[in-house]
Amino acid sequence: MSQKETLYREAIRDAQREELIKNPKVFLIGEDLRDPWGGTYNATQNLSTEFGNERVLNTPIAEETIIGSALGAALTGLHPVAELMYFDFVMRAMDAVVNQVAKVRYMSGGQVKVPLTIRTQGGGGKSSAAQHGNSLESWICHVPGIFVVSPSTPYDAKGLLKTAIRMEDPVFFIEHKMLYMTKGMVPDGEYTIPLGKGDIKKKGSDITIIANSRMVLFSIEAAQKLESEGISAEVVDPRSLVPLDEELLFESVHKTHHLVVVNEGVERCGWGAEIVALVQKKCFDDLDAPVERVCARNVPLPFQPDLEKYVLPSVDDIVLAVKQSLGKDN
Amino acid sequence: MKNKQIDSKNLMFQMYRLMNRIRFFERAAYELYMEGELPGFMHISIGQEATAVGACSALQKEDFMGSTHRGHGDTIAKGVEIGAAMSELFGKRTGACKAKGGSMHISDFSKGILGANGIVAAGVPIATGAALSMKMQKKDHVVLCFFGDGAFASGPVHECLNVSSLWKLPIIYIRQNNQYAESTPKKEYMGVPDIVQWAQSYGMPARRVDGNDVLDVYENVLKAAKFAREGNGPTFIESETYRWYGHNIGDPGLGRPKEEVEQWKKRDPIPKFRKYILDNAIASEEELLQIEKEEENGIQEAIQQAQNAQYPGLNEALENVYSDETLGSMAIRGVR
Repeated sequence: MSQKETLYREAIRDAQREELIKNPKVFLIGEDLRDPWGGTYNATQNLSTEFGNERVLNTPIAEETIIGSALGAALTGLHPVAELMYFDFVMRAMDAVVNQVAKVRYMSGGQVKVPLTIRTQGGGGKSSAAQHGNSLESWICHVPGIFVVSPSTPYDAKGLLKTAIRMEDPVFFIEHKMLYMTKGMVPDGEYTIPLGKGDIKKKGSDITIIANSRMVLFSIEAAQKLESEGISAEVVDPRSLVPLDEELLFESVHKTHHLVVVNEGVERCGWGAEIVALVQKKCFDDLDAPVERVCARNVPLPFQPDLEKYVLPSVDDIVLAVKQSLGKDN
Repeated sequence: MKNKQIDSKNLMFQMYRLMNRIRFFERAAYELYMEGELPGFMHISIGQEATAVGACSALQKEDFMGSTHRGHGDTIAKGVEIGAAMSELFGKRTGACKAKGGSMHISDFSKGILGANGIVAAGVPIATGAALSMKMQKKDHVVLCFFGDGAFASGPVHECLNVSSLWKLPIIYIRQNNQYAESTPKKEYMGVPDIVQWAQSYGMPARRVDGNDVLDVYENVLKAAKFAREGNGPTFIESETYRWYGHNIGDPGLGRPKEEVEQWKKRDPIPKFRKYILDNAIASEEELLQIEKEEENGIQEAIQQAQNAQYPGLNEALENVYSDETLGSMAIRGVR
């Protein structure tokens, strides 16, 4: 299949476009989605022009209503793709996400299916300060009843978003503002990627690094640096956080005996802690060293660029964690 | 009772039947709860039957309805089987929600019931979305959205009144004003006393109805449903009623003046409707007694049925989280 270099945001846009064509029940709902604005990070550019305002709904700034009404539509025959402009804004819709979307199937005894995708973008790196740069994936992973996806590449983003839109369960789809302008090869034709299937982004033998979203790119960069120092790191990208491809991770740890967990949210009670708990239980005999974690420091995200960098995980932090795990840090 | 021209005797019978069904159901639920037979939280709507029945009777079968934590009456009025509802209260496998929901979460989507909802005001965006969905799919159905008086002080209600007005959605918002937000009277939580005027400011028709007059509720909802079906958008209805009991069973309702409770009990919607039917010679005393007897017996049968039913197996706690079974079983596994 021929392929072309594609921006992450184009991959997100193209996935929505293809699903809008494929299924007349699919529609987009959120703030500022229509052209000429086309989404705050242009992830819905040209879609209202192509499909009309009936399939691309601009809403008031009312996040609980965006998610709650998307749920009402999903329960009555449609397949909404709802956008929360910033991950931080999920707080305004948290009841709808947690108490309604994720639980309606369970609380009704399985009467309904919930074909609803919630797209959002999180993360720091733009000096957007503490209310526009949160990485809250751990919060959503904590909620039974919703799947959680956080792709790191344009290829994964497109294939996973198409799958998410076709699913009959709610999927929380987390993009990253610093990934939108990254590039990658994407096939021209139709493809999808299943949830629950991770991907080895770089093969290695000395240590495993598991990371999600933008941290996958940081981890690959760290692994390349380490290579020049004779350390072979394997980078595991789970792609979907719920469900998690545990087997892929365990296999890698079984091979390398060392693990570093990287995620951008603050460290305390984060997704990384869950991975550590899982691995110490399931891979105890494989481990030659304590599992290392690289996360944001336990403070709100500061505005000033140097301070922001200091608080967020960096490539050097990952390199250091790898060396600590391998006892090569002095 | 207003002298309304409703020509269908069957409709009157059905409404009288439903009001009795709800009253007997909730009386029984109250007693069973006090006897320790039913677990969980329970919110009784006795006194509010006319609002539930009048409103739901004005709908067509395919129309949708969303309710609240105090949802027994609304859901029975929209057609949930009392056997399934009672079994749900008992936590039996045969319950409307397979014992996963309980009193606050009774739903039956096959009857257009979008669910009772344990979070005040949270059902309003869902109902609004159902109305959006009907409009987008060019379907002829409307949505009835119940919420309590307390919910009107909560953000999502106002978000939704705005968008439904903006998008001309086929929805009827009914504020079941039972005078108290849990224990707090309206004078302590409402800054704007005239709700109807407030709702009108959203650009939709708004009316006050006597929530203890089943025909007044019925006619106004019928009018609103026609208005919505013809593409004119939402209507807001303020239904003045009263709940006889406290917020939930176990709340003695302290702080409510005894005289106030007694005053409202004198306006009991069921005898009021009964009198109207007899005064207008719509039915005979015998016919009404027959309906009452049938409904009372029906509840006893529902209780029997529930008592005889099985509890769910413990493993059923792990079912119905996701519809995709393969990914769902991956998602719920843990180290335990």
